[in-house]
Amino acid sequence: MRKLPRSLRLYVAASTLYAALIFIAVQFIYTIELAQSGIFIARRDNGDLLSSIQLVSFIVWLGISLIAAVVMFRLATALAGAQSAEAEAKTSEEQKDQELGAIFGLSSALAGPLSLEQIGAFFVAAVRAALPPHTTIALIVYDDVLEAFRTVAADGPHADELKDRSYSAVALPSIVRIRVIDHRQSLVIPDTSAEKAMWTKVSEEMPAVAGAGSFAALPLVSRERLVGALLLLGERAGDLTPDKAQMPVIMGQYVAGSIHSALAVNEAEARAERETLVNRIAQRARGTLDPDEILRATVDELAKVLGVTRAVVATGDSEAKLEVIYEWTADGEPSVGLGPRDLPVSRLAARLGRTLFVTDIRVDRRFSDPKTAAALAPLGVIAIAATPIRIGGRFAASLALVHTDRPREWTADDARLIDSVAQELRGAIAAAEAFEQQRQAVAELERLSRAKSDFVSIVSHEFRTPLTGIQGFSEMMQSEDLTIDEMREYAGDINKDAHRLNRMITEMLDLDKMESGHMEIHREAVDLNVIVTEAAESMRPNAPRHPVSLRLDPLVGEVSADRDKLTQVMANLLSNAVKYSPEGGEVVVSTRLEGNTAHVVVRDHGMGIPKAALETIFERYGRVESLATRHIRGTGLGLPIVRQIVQLHGGAVWVESTVGEGSVFHVTLPRGATVRPEVAEAAS
Amino acid sequence: MSKVVFCEDDPMIRKLVQTALRSTTHDVHIAEDGKQGLALIEQVRPDVVFSDVAMPEMDGFEMADAMRARSDLAHIPIVFMTASVQREQIDECFRHGASGHLAKPFTMAELRARVAQFSKN
Repeated sequence: MRKLPRSLRLYVAASTLYAALIFIAVQFIYTIELAQSGIFIARRDNGDLLSSIQLVSFIVWLGISLIAAVVMFRLATALAGAQSAEAEAKTSEEQKDQELGAIFGLSSALAGPLSLEQIGAFFVAAVRAALPPHTTIALIVYDDVLEAFRTVAADGPHADELKDRSYSAVALPSIVRIRVIDHRQSLVIPDTSAEKAMWTKVSEEMPAVAGAGSFAALPLVSRERLVGALLLLGERAGDLTPDKAQMPVIMGQYVAGSIHSALAVNEAEARAERETLVNRIAQRARGTLDPDEILRATVDELAKVLGVTRAVVATGDSEAKLEVIYEWTADGEPSVGLGPRDLPVSRLAARLGRTLFVTDIRVDRRFSDPKTAAALAPLGVIAIAATPIRIGGRFAASLALVHTDRPREWTADDARLIDSVAQELRGAIAAAEAFEQQRQAVAELERLSRAKSDFVSIVSHEFRTPLTGIQGFSEMMQSEDLTIDEMREYAGDINKDAHRLNRMITEMLDLDKMESGHMEIHREAVDLNVIVTEAAESMRPNAPRHPVSLRLDPLVGEVSADRDKLTQVMANLLSNAVKYSPEGGEVVVSTRLEGNTAHVVVRDHGMGIPKAALETIFERYGRVESLATRHIRGTGLGLPIVRQIVQLHGGAVWVESTVGEGSVFHVTLPRGATVRPEVAEAAS
Repeated sequence: MSKVVFCEDDPMIRKLVQTALRSTTHDVHIAEDGKQGLALIEQVRPDVVFSDVAMPEMDGFEMADAMRARSDLAHIPIVFMTASVQREQIDECFRHGASGHLAKPFTMAELRARVAQFSKN
């Protein structure tokens, strides 16, 4: 018999005592009443009545006691039943406490800031305790940076197949994607062999789970956001049921929040890193105006942050002519090399005018034609992102980021990053280009200014020589006793030097006039050969030590030209030829007819002209300043005047030269009366 | 009597120098360029050389350098006559061993004073 509570025992004892007292009291009252009534007489017949009353009383007491005992038994039984139910209830509560404890333990373990991997490890360990052994547990979370799910923790027999994997949303089995990811409902398949059709499809889409006897995929949702999913693979059918999945679901609710925070931290860090990169690039770009430096800095940083193996910058006026100007490689070894290259992806990106992303070029149909494939093969490209850089609306350059090691699914974040870097690059390159133009303009101005001061120095030098004569002779005429003949002679010298000075001034003014288009030319029919002969004749007395020979073609005949100007041209060319030739150096002048063009060639055997100066000698102030020409007198205006005059006649003048061997000056003149419109205008 | 060599390619200035120094006691020799000048210096062994810088064949600086390379001519002072008054060019004259500088155009008094300065006695 079970133990009765003390109160119950007390109650039974009290009621028995009470029943006994009632019995005695009743007997006593009866006895007195009977005695008083006179009935109780010591008679034998009275004794029967008394004993019958006593018997009735005893039976009543017995009945009451019996009823009490039954009641008590019933009560005790009921009580005992109640007690055992209570105990039972207590056991299940303890278990629940334990599970709750696990969850609380989990949630307290998750209280601190943790990495996704740490969270995953806690979570998987906690879930493991609630599930049959040999269940594979994998936590996949949605990585916003990757824009894909990736396994952060896995445990169990199939864990290896699930670890370190990432799945873009489309790579997950469609039923998981639709049910779990899109609709955020749990998917539990207690027996995969009972769902053959469905399981075959799931196995195809995600071979890692194929061997499971039962399967569950549980969404992890935090603050309305799906942060990941828990994949459970039971060894046998029935290892996972909706009931058994309850615990992981509850735990998942706790873990989801932590995953959410960890993801947010990761994303914030990734964003911050990328923003920092863009800022850093912008800063470096603003810190320098050297386009090469901007290029290097920007491309290096971007390539490192994106983790690509190669970055290539190619410039070109059009997409068809790309020239690699900078290359970064992860190992520092050049691979594409600088110079013109065929870059099919950059070319297509340039043509489309937008960034082009290729996950795996080996299976990309856009680049599968044999010609493109042949161009791509030596480059070793697998994944590539190529973006065109346009400046002022025209294509200027192309930036390509390449994986030669693996395919890559470029994310929207990558695209944003590449785009913002390209923006920086564009701005910086445009600014640097503008600066470069400015710099060149300034350098040109400086060059002109220097040339001008050189010119002033040359001219003042040339002016001072006749001035020395004028000043010296006039001083002597003034202060010394001279005969009238001496006076006359010196006056003549002064006059000669004055003329010389005047000629120089006229030359300068002529050039100015011609350059500003105010020079008039008076055309007439002029025999070119005659002009050349006259110029050579007048040169000879001044250059007795330089043989001048003429090879004239009589067919050249007459040209329509200004006689005086043409004479000046020939005189200048001849005097130059003599001036720059050593003594005895032969000067040859030849004429010939080429179609309707007269061609004059003046060949000397002088010092020659350096290549860099072949054009500048025709510019005003352009005389080649060197040791070799220091002893040459002249304002340096001769050739600029020649060019101006020839151009006014619609002709051309140029020079060919070999340093140390001599120079050949060419003059062409149209024979007809063709006058350039602006010249006609100037002449009118 | 001191001996003076003048190197000058401009005929008018040659004539001017000759005329201006005619009344002095100096023995004046005149060359038309550096090459002639160097030959004349070797021959005359003057007390002083006056030279233009810009001359054909051999300029004044080349002539000065050639003289400095010859132990028997190195001691002869040279005065450069230049039309330039730019600091750098005058400095260059002294880098080539000039003892003096005479800027063109010069006055006759200047010329005579300079010649006298480098003459013996």
